[in-house]
Amino acid sequence: VRVLIVDDHPSFRASARKLLESEGYEVVGEAADGAGALAAVEELHPDVVLLDIQLPDIDGCEVAARLGKNEDPPKVILTSSRDARDYGACIGMCGARGFVPKAELSGAVLTTLLA
Amino acid sequence: VTQRLLIAAWSAAIAAAAASMVLVLSSSHENDPAARAALIVGLGLVFVGCGLVATVRRPDNRTGVLMALVGFFWFLSALADANNATVYTIGVALSLLVYGAFAHLILSYPTGRLETTRDRAIVLFAYLDVTVVQWAWMLTRERIGTSNAPCPDCPDNVFFVSHDHTLNSGIVTIQRGVGIALVWAALAVLYRRYRNATPAARRTLGPVVATSAVTIVLIAVMLVAAWISESASHTINWFVLVSFGTVPLAFLVGLLRTRLQRTGILRMIVESPDELSLREAELALKDALGDPTLRLAYWRDDLRGFVNVRGKPFVVPEDTPLRVTTTIDYGGKPIAALLHDRALLEDGAMLEEVIGVIRMGLEKDRGERELRATEIRNQALIEAIPDLMFRISLDGRYVDYRAPSEFDLVDREVVGKTVWQRLPAELADRIMAAGRSAVEERKVEAFDYELDFGEGVRYYEGRVAASADDEFVLIVRNITDRKLQEQELQASRARIVAAGDEERRRLERNLHDGAQQRLVSLSLSLRLAQTQLEKNPEMAEQLLESAREELAQALEELRELARGIHPAILTDRGLDAALEALASRAPLPVEIERPATDLPPPVEAAAYYVVSEALANVAKYAEASYVRVSVAQMNGAACVEVSDDGIGGADPAQGSGLRGLADRIAALNGTLEVESVPGQGTTIRAEIPLG
Repeated sequence: VRVLIVDDHPSFRASARKLLESEGYEVVGEAADGAGALAAVEELHPDVVLLDIQLPDIDGCEVAARLGKNEDPPKVILTSSRDARDYGACIGMCGARGFVPKAELSGAVLTTLLA
Repeated sequence: VTQRLLIAAWSAAIAAAAASMVLVLSSSHENDPAARAALIVGLGLVFVGCGLVATVRRPDNRTGVLMALVGFFWFLSALADANNATVYTIGVALSLLVYGAFAHLILSYPTGRLETTRDRAIVLFAYLDVTVVQWAWMLTRERIGTSNAPCPDCPDNVFFVSHDHTLNSGIVTIQRGVGIALVWAALAVLYRRYRNATPAARRTLGPVVATSAVTIVLIAVMLVAAWISESASHTINWFVLVSFGTVPLAFLVGLLRTRLQRTGILRMIVESPDELSLREAELALKDALGDPTLRLAYWRDDLRGFVNVRGKPFVVPEDTPLRVTTTIDYGGKPIAALLHDRALLEDGAMLEEVIGVIRMGLEKDRGERELRATEIRNQALIEAIPDLMFRISLDGRYVDYRAPSEFDLVDREVVGKTVWQRLPAELADRIMAAGRSAVEERKVEAFDYELDFGEGVRYYEGRVAASADDEFVLIVRNITDRKLQEQELQASRARIVAAGDEERRRLERNLHDGAQQRLVSLSLSLRLAQTQLEKNPEMAEQLLESAREELAQALEELRELARGIHPAILTDRGLDAALEALASRAPLPVEIERPATDLPPPVEAAAYYVVSEALANVAKYAEASYVRVSVAQMNGAACVEVSDDGIGGADPAQGSGLRGLADRIAALNGTLEVESVPGQGTTIRAEIPLG
């Protein structure tokens, strides 16, 4: 499964890449902000986008909504170091497949959400 | 003295005058009956009349009675003109009695009493000289005339015993000698009495003493002349009688004069009360009452005592034989005291009247004085008020105004203009609406407004109160400073709140971006290590190693964050240690000058933040090589100063750090100054009051 990791913290991107790769995912790219994410999806056509909600430019929910309008949209899993409740209804509304708190990220959780 | 008695006395005088006239006109031995009749009737009536008037004016004074007595004795002397021998003889025997009574009258004047033994002796001898000596003389002279002149036609002397020329001449000599001696004694008494009299008493004595003295001197001249020529003496007798008649007229003149004076005082005090100060009133009274020693004092409620006309305390002296004090009351309260010559008591009615006028004048004077004092107080109040005041009529026209500072006048021209000419229409309407309701409902209306003077908006508070049925007073206070302070306070509060919010946002972000991210990474690393533990222990160990580093960094970041929320070292170990810690973390040498002072915790915290913020700014912008920090106590305030040798040119308006500091210090009533000339380093100075 081809994954694009979108987060403005390099340390998280690095950790997440290692973790997912060790569990058999193929990380095809990384993006640090919303615009970068949109461009990378355009270019790399990942199957899954692990998308941080709190991005410096465009809100993660907004990015997810825009990606949802693509012809062949990737499956979006939102993530954040905050609790899902901090974001209210937006997570359910933006077309994302699911939400995983950053600290609980693992290949197994991802697989469950994608199923 | 009852009115009936007076009428009776006056009727008796008329009857006596009529009888005298009949006796004189029908006399067989009177040379000039018409003249003598006129003299008898005229003098007699004048004495009795003046005596009665004096009795009415001064009932407790015997002078009037004595004067009337002189008049009646005078009528009695007309008996000597009778043709009947017995009546004639009695008339001659009593014809000189009038001179004794006259001596009695002038020596007892003005009190009506013979005060000394000497005076009583003079009067006693005078009475003896005109009666007993006269009778002795009559016993030794067969034919006697009127007034000692030879009289061939006179009736017989029924007292005649035997003719003895030597004895008769001796008696005449004794009678005349005693008469002359008594005249000189009386003159001496009158002279001394006048010389020793107070000026007020002289006024009373003067006319009577003068006419009496002239009469007495003429009597003396007449007595002396009798030795030389009987006919000359007879002629002088006429002058004596005329002079004699002036004495009661002197009384009358004196009485009239005091009445005129009194009218003068009344007119003076009542008609020109505005010009008449108390000092002038005292002078006028001295003059009018003829008493230069007179003192006027008036009562002061606030001092609970009298003050003289110069406002100095006045102690009422004990009464003496010469000077007495009359207190003047009004409505049961003392209002004035009059220290004056005892002689003024002689004329009780006049003093009463003068006192009445003073009472009236003083009460009026006091009313005006109080009114003037109130006016002065009100004026002072108005002068002291820093507000603009306008009197505006209900049709919107300015009637009057007062402007302590022209700075606040929209237009220097005020009176005659209307509110709509000088002020924006909306404000003019508001003022007039407030003015109308103030006049109608009689209550003070207040409102705030602002005016744009071009160089800035000024704020005013207007108050409107009715000042008459058709006008009101507008009092305008410039509250610009207060408004600006209020606005600044509001802005400062808003900034403090905003700074708090911003601070919390920053903390959240720091937590989120720093420690939280590290903990997230740590969590992921640990999870990865867990998965690698069995198949790749070497990698797992590497992962754990990096996780440990991550954890250490997270801890450091949390510590840093906590220090930003509140420096624990400040509360735990005090300002000195906290400043040392700040200095040790600074990237350049910091010198701390810190005299031992004990500052309250909020001031210590503020000082810490000033130094902390200043050091952070130095590190970021100043390009300095050295910083000096001092925290001292001066004039009840903590003085915090941070100066560097950097490039200067810092703008305190820029950057939220300094603004936040200024707000924090303003909240403690302190001030923050930034001095930063380009090229000369930067000095940040804060003064924070300790109280």
